[in-house]
Amino acid sequence: MTARRTEIVYRICWTIALLLLAVPFIFPFLWMISGGFKSTTEIFGAPTLIPRVWRFENFVEVFTYQPFARQYFNSLYIAATVTVLTLFIASLAGYALARIRFAGAGLLMLFLVMALMVPEEVTIIPNFFLIRAMGLIDTHWPLILLPVFGPQGVVATFLMRQFFLALPKELEDAGKMDGLSRFGVWLKIALPMSRPALAAVAIITFLHSWNLFLEPLIFLSSLEKFTLPLALSNFNDSYGLPLWNLQLAATSLAVVPILIIYLIAQRQIIESFALSGVKG
Amino acid sequence: MTKVLLKGIRKKFGAVEIIRGVDLDIEDGEFVVFVGPSGCGKSTLLRLISGLEHISGGELHIGGQLVNEVPASRRGVAMVFQSYALYPHLTVRDNMGFGLKVRKVPASERARRVSEAAATLKLEPLLDRFPRQLSGGQRQRVAIGRAIVGNPDVFLFDEPLSNLDAELRVHMRSEIAALHQRLSTTMIYVTHDQIEAMTLADKIVVLRDGRVEQVGTPRDLYDSPRTIFVAQFIGSPKMNILPLADGGPIAPGASVPATAISVGIRPEHLSLGKSSNSTLRGKVRLAEYTGAVTLLHVELDGGQTCLVIQNQGPAPETGAEVSLQADPGRLHFFDREGQAV
Ligand SMILES: Nc1ncnc2c1ncn2[C@@H]1O[C@H](COP(=O)(O)OP(=O)(O)OP(=O)(O)O)[C@@H](O)[C@H]1O
Ligand SMILES: [Mg+2]
Repeated sequence: MTARRTEIVYRICWTIALLLLAVPFIFPFLWMISGGFKSTTEIFGAPTLIPRVWRFENFVEVFTYQPFARQYFNSLYIAATVTVLTLFIASLAGYALARIRFAGAGLLMLFLVMALMVPEEVTIIPNFFLIRAMGLIDTHWPLILLPVFGPQGVVATFLMRQFFLALPKELEDAGKMDGLSRFGVWLKIALPMSRPALAAVAIITFLHSWNLFLEPLIFLSSLEKFTLPLALSNFNDSYGLPLWNLQLAATSLAVVPILIIYLIAQRQIIESFALSGVKG
Repeated sequence: MTKVLLKGIRKKFGAVEIIRGVDLDIEDGEFVVFVGPSGCGKSTLLRLISGLEHISGGELHIGGQLVNEVPASRRGVAMVFQSYALYPHLTVRDNMGFGLKVRKVPASERARRVSEAAATLKLEPLLDRFPRQLSGGQRQRVAIGRAIVGNPDVFLFDEPLSNLDAELRVHMRSEIAALHQRLSTTMIYVTHDQIEAMTLADKIVVLRDGRVEQVGTPRDLYDSPRTIFVAQFIGSPKMNILPLADGGPIAPGASVPATAISVGIRPEHLSLGKSSNSTLRGKVRLAEYTGAVTLLHVELDGGQTCLVIQNQGPAPETGAEVSLQADPGRLHFFDREGQAV
């Protein structure tokens, strides 16, 4: 009986502690959503979490102020394309680096990892000239090509390689005995088993593309080609001062896909831990 | 007819030669067991036959055909791996049917063959489970089932029972023996386990450093090992090898070949004699009682330790003086090179 009592007390204490710890993370989030429903004057008035006057029209204005729906879609399809391409290329390349013995494999890996150490700010100017020479300024191509074949792609490839290295080789041998080609082994055995790695790479890649600011700023000039981070910084009044309520409303909308991606990927990761027999 | 024929098979990994010319003739339906110390190349040889490793030299014929360059899946062989290598993301049913699916066998035919194999191995209740939901023995059986489904001409096993506990191992051993009787397919089996090798094999191949040391029936190898290596490798506990000078008196009546320098005698062929008609004397250093028999470690007057299995009568005390004797017909003589004479 007393053992159960202490158990309950223990749990309550823990829950309270965790709730308190969560406050610094959740509060700004709630503040953002609440700000999205306020007027600018209320935002700078006495702070309240619940808006005194709910301005739902903020969310309409977000879409009329600039082609926000179009910009939202841009971000979505670019991030999705980048993620799919990265998953495909990184898992293929990672598999090759992990499993196929070819001359210079080690050197190639070294080169790739070295490229990671060059900060983006250093490569952005040469990249700009490259993209301009290809005639792709003010298109979405640089936003797709640069992450897929740049440092992000390398990180993804490296993650996939490490994961493939740890997969039991006998499974792939079994696949070969069953008649799979090398490509078949990759597709039917290595890939299904690397769901946690794929999910992790998907999250990282999607987030990176979703948050990209410098590249769109440099490569895009027309409003309807903007991506979200650029669009968010564009809710300004005629003096160039930010329209805080619109920015907060738009930002609230912009986090929705991230939440969804997290939920999906998290489930994948947990499920595959169950699959591999590791207790979760 | 599925004979497997190895002619001068060699395998190099980089500059190191691991398999150094193996000649072997495996008859149709034979159960062949590869044994040898760790690292001698048993798994490598099996993988060469399976097609998972490329052969560096020599010829491999399966069913009368040269298959050196034939990919693994077209050699008509199936392999059971030590780790079972079941696909964790597929159910038992899909694991077993996977190879057929890859070979584009129609679904109905596939279902029939899977359920047939499942019936043989009593796997029906498990068909919809995932490998992680199975015990070690069940996984083993699924792995065998996956091999059976493809109707292979040759089965390859690489230490299939080594991850099982002792009791299950005995059970699965008899199942594999039964399977071989029913299918009478050629089987090649790698093991560390003496008993597995002796009980399962029609023919045992003793490997050492990438070469065949001796091939023969279990009885051949036990009764007439051709080298000291085989003599000590087959049989448990190990055969005692004594210098001729020390071991000679053990069976006074034996005719000793001229070139012999050492004599071998198995622990189970030694018996304790009365010290009066003394032949070879020593002191009992340790007596290990195992229930059925007692294993005596006897330190001879010459300093060597000799193992003796005593299967009746009370065991002598530690430190007791004993004398050993043996039937002259049970002695093995070896020359300077370790060859039997
Ligand atoms: N892919 C490889 N590359 C390089 N060397 C290898 C490779 N595979 C095996 N070897 C070497 O070949 C030798 C024989 O290995 P193998 O696995 O055939 O031994 P084994 O007889 O099966 O041993 P065990 O009884 O421990 O399983 C070992 O020395 C091993 O290091
Ligand atoms: Mg081995």
